[in-house]
Amino acid sequence: MTAVGSLEGFRVLDLTQGLCGPFCTMQLGDAGAEVIKLEPPAGDFARRIGPPFIEGESAVFLSLNRNKKSVMLDLETTSGCKAVAQLVRDADVLVVDCGPTAAEKLGLSYEQLQSSNPKLVYCSITPFGEEGSLRDAPGSELVLQAMAEYTASLGRIGDPPVRLGADVASLNTGIFAAQAILAGLFHRLRSGEGQRVTVSEFGALLHMRGIMWTSMSDPDDWYGFHLDHYTKPPDYGYQAKNGALYFILRRANSEDWDRLIMELGMEEVLADPRFADYGRAATSIGRYATEVKPIWEAAFAHRTREELIDLIKRIGGDAVPIMDYPSLLAHPQVAALEAIAEIDHPIAGTIKMVRPVARLSATPNAIRLPPPTLGQHTEEVLRAAGLSIQRLNR
Amino acid sequence: MAAKILDGIRVFDLTIAAVGPWATKLLGALGADVIKVEAPGGDRLSHAVPPMIKGSSVLYISANHNKRMIELDLKKEADRAIALKIIEKSDVFVQNMRPGAVERLGLGYEAVAKVNPRMIYVAASAYGRTGPMAGEAGIDPTVQSFCGWCSITGPEHGRGEMYRHLAHLDLTTATTITQAVLQALIARERTGQGQLIEIEMLTAAMALQTTRLAEYFSTGEQPAPLGSAAATTAPHQAFECEDRRYIAVGVEHDAQWSGLCRALKLEQLIDDPRFATNPARVERRFELAAILTERFKTKPAAWWAIRLRKENVPNAPFLTFEELRNHPQVHENQHIIEIDTPHWGRMHVDGLPWKFERTPAGPIRAGGLPSEHTAEVLRELGIVDQPTAGASK
Repeated sequence: MTAVGSLEGFRVLDLTQGLCGPFCTMQLGDAGAEVIKLEPPAGDFARRIGPPFIEGESAVFLSLNRNKKSVMLDLETTSGCKAVAQLVRDADVLVVDCGPTAAEKLGLSYEQLQSSNPKLVYCSITPFGEEGSLRDAPGSELVLQAMAEYTASLGRIGDPPVRLGADVASLNTGIFAAQAILAGLFHRLRSGEGQRVTVSEFGALLHMRGIMWTSMSDPDDWYGFHLDHYTKPPDYGYQAKNGALYFILRRANSEDWDRLIMELGMEEVLADPRFADYGRAATSIGRYATEVKPIWEAAFAHRTREELIDLIKRIGGDAVPIMDYPSLLAHPQVAALEAIAEIDHPIAGTIKMVRPVARLSATPNAIRLPPPTLGQHTEEVLRAAGLSIQRLNR
Repeated sequence: MAAKILDGIRVFDLTIAAVGPWATKLLGALGADVIKVEAPGGDRLSHAVPPMIKGSSVLYISANHNKRMIELDLKKEADRAIALKIIEKSDVFVQNMRPGAVERLGLGYEAVAKVNPRMIYVAASAYGRTGPMAGEAGIDPTVQSFCGWCSITGPEHGRGEMYRHLAHLDLTTATTITQAVLQALIARERTGQGQLIEIEMLTAAMALQTTRLAEYFSTGEQPAPLGSAAATTAPHQAFECEDRRYIAVGVEHDAQWSGLCRALKLEQLIDDPRFATNPARVERRFELAAILTERFKTKPAAWWAIRLRKENVPNAPFLTFEELRNHPQVHENQHIIEIDTPHWGRMHVDGLPWKFERTPAGPIRAGGLPSEHTAEVLRELGIVDQPTAGASK
């Protein structure tokens, strides 16, 4: 018998759109839950995120919506809202991202639904949090990164802001939302009671930078990357002849250190106090690392990064090339971890995606369903719920 | 007092640095009894990362909230025996040592599961146990470098750069661990059994780049750094305003596009076929940005913020800590809070990332100094053996 996922038997109703909510519910689908994605007639707006499109399908949408069924419902009609309320009765989880005010207008607030399903775990995701004047304000990836001072750790003071290329506000919040839902379900299994749980992108991002807040409370000395990342220049790693690398020297001893310096022809640094203690302060998060980078780079200029990585590893350090996507995906470590999975989509063909991250030995995550087309499962799901399609969406 | 979600769940926390500890910190916030087990002297990395507050590393302080701190020398038989007794009474075991290291201490998955088949055992590492980099250590900046993360960040036409907050990927991996543990706890209610969970920083970092990798998979082209701009929605970037302040604007769908045009008094563009849909706006991003850049420069940022807010268009200023710590939204949602600690005084800390209305998480508690709770924990668990290391208080 094939092993089932940890959420086998649970049903999730997903009213979210875009990146954050869908990434959250995809985690639940990966874990084996039946995820029913409720989409308006125009579909999740993420279906129009792009280019790139593959045969008309948004690559971004495809990456966030595997393991889900799609039901098309028009929530601007009374029958549409009633259908959702009906589906909620048999659901374990409902996820919304329209904000508390809009949810109530749709008859889909927790207060309005819980009496018909006291076991429901109701998760509301908002950009900024449900208290305060921004409770109904819309967000976006850059907007959240800006608000949570993420861009302060990038670029140069005085230059235009630089954002993180990855969609961290959306996707990492999706992980926190999955945690909240899982925690709610665990509690329900032990107590019988559901509840409302909330997560915000603003809260998630500020949580992730918590070390910064503590660092600024009352440090013994204003020193360290949790403080000076605001003012340091952009970091491109260390340039070698054929590309950049990053390295640290945390396990060097006297013999290893001497060997490294001799091989690199850097004997002059042995008298340089910034390179004392086997170079600990001259690399990585060391106090003088930024200042002495040109000295390292002068020594690296005539060597390939492969040579340098090999040398640094031989003397007990860690070193990696700074990779781009083609080199990353061609690297044998990615294949060894089976990090990339493939699934067949009826329109887009075979698509590649990162596999579910956690590997559980007894109740594994799995990719079972391709991302759905709009309304692909409307008839199947509504029929099973005893709802008539003809009466809907009027 | 309201029940806590992880009441009765005990975590044997053998984690080091940031990846492991932050995951168990979250479990502690959910109400688990987290017992952080450190070797004598602790893990060098987390104790050495500056800055310090009254001599303790801020990384060590931050990553170890919501726990009790004990010290065992697992190289000694007597302390290993104590560890196994704690393991018998625990539900979750988390370690993020280099593959092979924990087995040498006799605490690999097989050994632990033999003593406690209900144990949910997390083995986290940078690159995993197989492949050419198996067993290699990784810290946030080396994983950043390796996983392609730098290549998509930086000014337009510039070089890819590193994220100077050298802990983001550590914490992302930690959040994945917490998620997986909760999944396994749910499964255990059904099966009565524990299991092994394996997580690598590399895979977690790639998953965080899901949407950007999707672009690469479909086009075969490396996504380039774009400064503040998004690649697949437009307009979605920072604009400089009359007062030289920047405003972040994000239009992700057509209703917001109409709102933006009204806010900027550019209504004639709403149905302009060049810009009427998101794909069209993305394809003509430069042309569009030129029009909007000119308009934003005619008024100060605060003016645009009001007009965009009225039209429900996502926007925000670029804030600093000084503005955040006093911001009403932060305050009312408790995204950043202050706590009092016995050893380090009063400090700002990260708030809880979730809110549970029936079973509140938290409160956030400072962990403690190394070995501070050794005697207390052993007494509470009815373990009379004395550890070889650590002070008995």
